[in-house]
Amino acid sequence: MEDEKDHALPGFEAEAKDNSRRNFLKQSTLLTAIALTPGTAVKAAEMGVGEKIAEAFEKMPIKMEVNGVAHSLSVEPRATLLDILREQLDLTGTKKGCDHGQCGACTVHVDGHRVNSCLTLGVMASGKKITTIEGLAKGDDLHPMQEAFLKHDGFQCGYCTPGQIMSAVACIREGHANSEMEIREYMSGNICRCGAYPNIVNAIQEVKAGGQAV
Amino acid sequence: MNDQLNKPSSSTGMSRIDGRLKVTGAARYSGEFTPAGMVYGVLVGSTITKGTIKSIDTKAAERAPGVLKVITHLNAPKIAGYQVEPGKPEPAKGTYKLFYNNKVLFNGQPIAVVVADSFERALFAASLVKAQYNTDPHHTSMQDNTGAFAPGGDGTTKRGTVDAWKTAPFKLEQEYIIPSEVHSAMELHAIIAKWDAEDKLTVWTKTQGVQDTRDGIVSIFKLPKENVQVNSKFVGGAFGSALQVWPHEVAAILSAKVVKRPVKLLLGRADMFTSVGYRPYTWQKIGIGATADGKLVGITHEAVGQTSTYEDFNEEPIGVSRSTYACPNVNTIYKINPLDIGSPTWMRGPGEATGAFALESALDELSYALNIDPIKLRLINYAETDPESGKPFSSKYLNEAYKLGADGIGWDDRKQKPASVSKNGWMVGYGMGGGMFGAYRDKAAAKAIMMADGTLIIQTAVSDIGPGTGTAMVTIASDVMGIPADKIRFDMGDSSLPLAPSQGGSSTTATVGSAVYQACTDLKENFQKLIGNGGTDKPDYAAVLKQHNLPKLEITVDSSGGPERDKYAMYSWSVHFVRVLVHPTTGVVKVDKVVCVADSGHIVSPKTARSQIVGGAIGGIGMALMEEVIIDDRYGKLVNNNFADYHVPVNADIPQIEALFVNKPDPYINPMGAKGMGEIALIGMAGAVANAVYNATGKRVRELPITPDKLVGMELELS
Amino acid sequence: MKQFQYTRALTQQSAIDAIAKPGTKIIAGGTNLIDLMKRGVTAPDKLVDINHLPLKNIVATKTGLHIGALALNSVVSENSLVLEKQPLLSMALKAGASPQLRNMATVGGNMMQRTRCTYFYDTTMPCNKRAPGTGCGAMEGINRMHAIFGASDQCIAVNPSDMCVGLAALDAVAIIAGKKGERRIPFTEFHRLPGDHPEMDNHLATGEMIVGVEIPDNNFAKNSYYLKVRDRQSYAFALVSVAAALEISNGVIKNARLAMGGVAHKPWRLFDAEKALIGKPATEESFKQAAQIAMQGAKAYQYNSFKLKLAPATITEALKHAAGLV
Repeated sequence: MEDEKDHALPGFEAEAKDNSRRNFLKQSTLLTAIALTPGTAVKAAEMGVGEKIAEAFEKMPIKMEVNGVAHSLSVEPRATLLDILREQLDLTGTKKGCDHGQCGACTVHVDGHRVNSCLTLGVMASGKKITTIEGLAKGDDLHPMQEAFLKHDGFQCGYCTPGQIMSAVACIREGHANSEMEIREYMSGNICRCGAYPNIVNAIQEVKAGGQAV
Repeated sequence: MNDQLNKPSSSTGMSRIDGRLKVTGAARYSGEFTPAGMVYGVLVGSTITKGTIKSIDTKAAERAPGVLKVITHLNAPKIAGYQVEPGKPEPAKGTYKLFYNNKVLFNGQPIAVVVADSFERALFAASLVKAQYNTDPHHTSMQDNTGAFAPGGDGTTKRGTVDAWKTAPFKLEQEYIIPSEVHSAMELHAIIAKWDAEDKLTVWTKTQGVQDTRDGIVSIFKLPKENVQVNSKFVGGAFGSALQVWPHEVAAILSAKVVKRPVKLLLGRADMFTSVGYRPYTWQKIGIGATADGKLVGITHEAVGQTSTYEDFNEEPIGVSRSTYACPNVNTIYKINPLDIGSPTWMRGPGEATGAFALESALDELSYALNIDPIKLRLINYAETDPESGKPFSSKYLNEAYKLGADGIGWDDRKQKPASVSKNGWMVGYGMGGGMFGAYRDKAAAKAIMMADGTLIIQTAVSDIGPGTGTAMVTIASDVMGIPADKIRFDMGDSSLPLAPSQGGSSTTATVGSAVYQACTDLKENFQKLIGNGGTDKPDYAAVLKQHNLPKLEITVDSSGGPERDKYAMYSWSVHFVRVLVHPTTGVVKVDKVVCVADSGHIVSPKTARSQIVGGAIGGIGMALMEEVIIDDRYGKLVNNNFADYHVPVNADIPQIEALFVNKPDPYINPMGAKGMGEIALIGMAGAVANAVYNATGKRVRELPITPDKLVGMELELS
Repeated sequence: MKQFQYTRALTQQSAIDAIAKPGTKIIAGGTNLIDLMKRGVTAPDKLVDINHLPLKNIVATKTGLHIGALALNSVVSENSLVLEKQPLLSMALKAGASPQLRNMATVGGNMMQRTRCTYFYDTTMPCNKRAPGTGCGAMEGINRMHAIFGASDQCIAVNPSDMCVGLAALDAVAIIAGKKGERRIPFTEFHRLPGDHPEMDNHLATGEMIVGVEIPDNNFAKNSYYLKVRDRQSYAFALVSVAAALEISNGVIKNARLAMGGVAHKPWRLFDAEKALIGKPATEESFKQAAQIAMQGAKAYQYNSFKLKLAPATITEALKHAAGLV
């Protein structure tokens, strides 16, 4: 069983454990929100809309390690990991292609596994290690999969590419790159409208055959 | 034959100059900049299809946290370019005017924009805007003939005798339908608009042409041309959807003005189906006749396409029948049917892709009627000169392309009798289809700067939507100057750079490449003059600059085609060969093998050229097997406006695709001898797949896409 | 998306307590729920994240295989016990969604997955499931993807899951926990037919949550197959799918399980066809006869009549694969 402490986050671990925190939390996050958006909050207060709207300001503190860098952020629970990466952390390499889990452009690794960041709430990713396309290369040295995509022209416009590469790395790590047919199936969660699929397969096969650590 | 250039592999040739930025996530697309103080705009779409907005309640949205402004037709500032001169009548047709009045012309039409301090807040507040409407009856179905008319003229053309095909000993007449298809580029259309002063604007937007977009903005907002800066350095695919200034761009520019802050506006995927155009649904009928030995007697090609009520969209799908094959008698009829939908627009292979599906299917049907091999039938009717103008072709090696493709696919294994081959429980079939597209060359300019350290900088305002324009341009410059590609920097996607047209119509390499070629040629000549005595073949540019104590040497040239265009007919050709497997009981179709051959002149950049052909072929497979916009006509609304319900090919659908090139330079078109290939990569592919399905099963599907439901039970029908 | 409160449950009891309150929903993988929230189809006031509960185990018991509700679809599909004892479940899982989504989606979440009917998803359209009393948009609309079995005059939507088709075929049992403790429901009775209450997808009561499933041991491992027919080769919902499991001895069928997806509001178990197969030789002829029996009572709408041909073809083909005839 996992250690609960690992996931217990400051401010919102669980009601069952600590009901008394709620009021404090509400107060403190409201304060945070006011600090962040003074104009609007004051406007809301003036209009006398009261707690219902004030609640909507609630942001939660989260901690995430993104590409090896620890971040403490304040986010609305409804903010997706994708939007947090792109809009708050300016990590725009992770792409928004559909925002509904239907294209794979937003694929990132969470604790080493590929997921759609558009369907992941930031608050749910709190305490986790995120790797995005920006975190794949080691300094100027490209990751072997990035090199292979370059060599085999595994893209045209480049927009689905970060998601494809994150997925391709996972595809090999998972052990799903043993044949062309298997790669095609396990890369089908990443749409490429320019039609680079055969080149992507070639790139993955080359990295797989090369046996380098991915 | 030089295998490197005629039959490149995915790793042949120079890699993309911008590839490193793309594989590391460092490439920034238009929605990925953060000017200080930026806020977020989200559009609200109409929930009815036709009528007027009675009232619109924005109060809840305005009160929602973080909202700065809600703009509707009621409070939008007047847009100068929309206004009609006093006393003049409102034009009957024209591009859609955002927030201009209370009229609703199509479902999902933007009726408001909400601006807030975060994306989440803007999106939520947009859901709170509620409109009341007066609803009028609407028509969204092509089954409703709402008064189809010919756009310009009477819509007919003829060469020789009208309907001559009817007199031929072998003839057939069939109807073909393609549903509307959506470009579905992976990058959502996005814009960031920032006013630098009252009449000075900078935008980052997804466009195929920064200068055309600048000019569009200038005309809509009546701004001084020099005050509008458009940036689009990376474009996440477009396929024709980014060739005009769309309402969402106007909305962002307008809102930025109102809230006095930079505004970012990103379309949702659902908006991508209704707000940035599509390939129109088109019904076609072809009558075709031939003599017993396969000589074409006549073709009659009729088509009716979709358009909106407010704009006439004309893409002439019937043109292919006039120009593709030698045929003495050809007549065409083309109309468009105005419906209560958003306007269609150009989509990869516009017109030709639609027309070629019908023509290449009809020719295939004729080949079976005549019992003549489909390639042979095409060779019998091979056009040695342009059938329409009578002019000689600037170059045409299509017959060689047929041979290359037939060898590549293993055409000899094909059986003329349909439904006669099966393997591992699947029916096997072969098909082919061809495409053609005009080889154009527009005006362009380029600036070439040789820096003191020997670095060459090339500048032109072109966009790259994915084909690898920068890579091709650097290759051209490298060849002319005799310096390695890594010593060349290519600047683009910026409207302040020298003239370049929008990337479209497969003309970028011919147009902009010619300007780059000329700029480099002239620059090199200037160096030769400095060197004197006729110069040297491989000048040491840095040394020459140093010797003459020059910090740099630069030149800007204008380039355009010459009179050769009047003497020759200029086209690119393609031929696609496909092997399919069709499951006899479930009707599932798998594309098993694909070989595409392009006759598109000299191949400038083999790696990216190959990818372009492969990508176009995959677009054609999507068109053939799965793409279809579906509208519930009761509501006038799309029911599959997302990637789960509107299917484009995924990796599992696509086998290895071989791209072959005739690779013979065109002597007249431009200094490189290069012709375009973006369109021909797709044109003809859908026909090739449909023809292969027929060869496999004996079942002819004339209405795309060929989904399992159209084939299931065929063994019962055919037995 | 509407703003909501988010909490993490660290014990099963706290989760059960939390979901007793109206407007509160459990979130696990979130692959369907977040999508629905983004579209405004559902708008909970509060989400209880149960991902940190110890419900991920996959263990062999004396009588079968126990799979925790939070086991990821990808993990289950690759699990060695599942591959050995219940390969049909693995095949069904791998036919669903994409590798990324399967890395997020849980077994319990998959069971709670809502229909993909376009009229349900689009809040501007009528839909009795989303907004009871507004009518069914699909009945007279675009119903190509819709039900041919068990529909009502209120709703003709289909359940989109592949995993559930596999579990229904394999006689799985759903384990449900609530205030009063645990109860077990046969998988085939977990999901409902729409009837007069299409807003209810299943028999889970308010305040209850799925904690796991159990699959009894069987002799189907050697001869089972999941066949999914769809509009593209991967990452698409089923037009029709079939889970087929056979126990064959000397060429004769001793036992059979069949279930279909993409045809009804719930995974559609084909009990009569199974019975018809028992004692028959494992031949295409027997399979075709069973497929005909399976189709009794099917009813098509304007755009989905092809399923009347596709369903029996898919049943036959799946059985042929299961029997090793292909």
